[in-house]
Amino acid sequence: MLTGIDYFIVISYIVGMLILGLYFKKFVNSSEDYFLGGKSLPFWAIGMSIVVSDIGALDFVGVSGQAYRYGVSVGNFDWVGSVPAMLLAAFIFIPYFWRGGMYTIPEYLGRRYNQKVRTIASVTWILFFALDLGVLFWASAVLLNVLMGWPIWVSIFATAGVVGLYTYFGGITAVIMTDVVQMVIMFIGGFALVFLSLYEVGGWDNMVEKISTMGPEYRSHFDIIQPSDTKSPFPWTGILFGLTFVMANAYMIGNQAIVQRCLTAKNEWHAKASMIFASALKMLIPILVLFPGLMAIVVHPGLEDGDLALPMMIKSILPPGLIGLMFAAFFAGLMSSVDSLLNSTATLFTKDIYEPFIKKGASDQHYLKVGQISTLVLLIIGVATSPISSDFPGIYVAIQTFMSYFQGPLFAILLLGIFWKRTTQWGGLSALVIGIGSAIFLNVFKQRFFTIEEPFLYISWWSFLVGFIINITVSLMTKPHTKDQLEGLVFSSKILAKNKTL
Amino acid sequence: MLNFDWLSGVSPETAKMIFLGLYGLIGILVLMIPNEYIYEGLKKEDRHWYNNLKLWSLGVLTILASIYYQF
Repeated sequence: MLTGIDYFIVISYIVGMLILGLYFKKFVNSSEDYFLGGKSLPFWAIGMSIVVSDIGALDFVGVSGQAYRYGVSVGNFDWVGSVPAMLLAAFIFIPYFWRGGMYTIPEYLGRRYNQKVRTIASVTWILFFALDLGVLFWASAVLLNVLMGWPIWVSIFATAGVVGLYTYFGGITAVIMTDVVQMVIMFIGGFALVFLSLYEVGGWDNMVEKISTMGPEYRSHFDIIQPSDTKSPFPWTGILFGLTFVMANAYMIGNQAIVQRCLTAKNEWHAKASMIFASALKMLIPILVLFPGLMAIVVHPGLEDGDLALPMMIKSILPPGLIGLMFAAFFAGLMSSVDSLLNSTATLFTKDIYEPFIKKGASDQHYLKVGQISTLVLLIIGVATSPISSDFPGIYVAIQTFMSYFQGPLFAILLLGIFWKRTTQWGGLSALVIGIGSAIFLNVFKQRFFTIEEPFLYISWWSFLVGFIINITVSLMTKPHTKDQLEGLVFSSKILAKNKTL
Repeated sequence: MLNFDWLSGVSPETAKMIFLGLYGLIGILVLMIPNEYIYEGLKKEDRHWYNNLKLWSLGVLTILASIYYQF
């Protein structure tokens, strides 16, 4: 399917990323440079990096497929499922983390609650990221193989080699700056497909008219709000309670890979602005990933597998050259996800596990080296474990589901931790453990409790509520923290006045 | 109860108004944030209107509300 010009574009892209990433090696002289970019980065780079890290090659295909099956309601995840949470993060949480000089979210939890909460949160993220890495390698490589005929191990080694080198040497600065270019490539490739597809279907209005007359199953394809009794995974109740109130906040506020980027900002304004700028860019994502799925309904009606919608559109719509660009966009999605996982996991391991438990009080250069070696080890683990996915086809979904168990309780303890000074260490610990337990229980017995097919939005909400109530109950029964212990860790209306100290 | 059956009587049109109301509420909360906090980190001479993050947020919320109004 690829022609000479396509290969030229893809190979130029990969080599360009390597050169650009390695350029940032010279800025890494300390562990703060490696993990926080020396706190020197501008909002626009961080914002672009947040957006591109959040979307991978699999999302392009998966979201298009869901748009083909369910319509525009899948766009809720990037619209209401991102923007309000990003504003909350920008104005409340990020300034606390940035001013506190934190490296990781579990570090905040450790200061606010106790070391056990920090360790549980950190180990959970490390496990998730490490497992996700291998699965992501394999699933994306299989996708590139199906789409473009690119051999699986070539995709894995090309990505691992390039990303591994620049992440190892350049740390988060290299990750963020390469993400900037990756986002531009992704947007150019994605928008080219959208505009050419729109031309093919005769414009937006024509497409809406055609789809609306295709049968009753397409009647609600242009309704972003689905009734609460819909059989699709996106009833408005789940979107409001599970996604908007819990999962989106947990993701934008509690996800190390997202928040760590904001902590690299050169000052507090840039930290806040990065998240708001990212929220503006995020609203464009559904246009890239959702619209091709909708247009495929007209161009390729009756596909049994919705996930074929995007590949079919690429093959039938894009000319040579632009196919190469789209392929580069897929690679960009894969690379940006992998570099984020590598750098964030290395940060979590070094700051939350190695420094407190393995070697306290070592030199800064020692921790820098540990961060670099962790990156390398993770990369090797990721590549080595990637073929496991071929033996367990459902593992990608299983890992994502596992992570959704964690989101509700995590957000419950973050929310109460920052807004309620009476929350205690034991409240936080029991909320995290019992909340995760309740999510697992609800998932195991989901057919008994829920009527929709994939109730992950509902599970997130109810496990959040369990964590929230447990946290309050146990906190009220245990000894409150002193004022000194809470200094700089709990929201105070003073920050909205002129008091600079938190 | 776990399936939110108690909200099954709420029509999608009403639900849409709930979402739009939520964006309105967030917009009001953003407007209440003092400018001093919004500009924190910038030097006094760099505090221009286009650096006002309240305006950025309101712009984003307006686009979001338009999307939900349209669909």
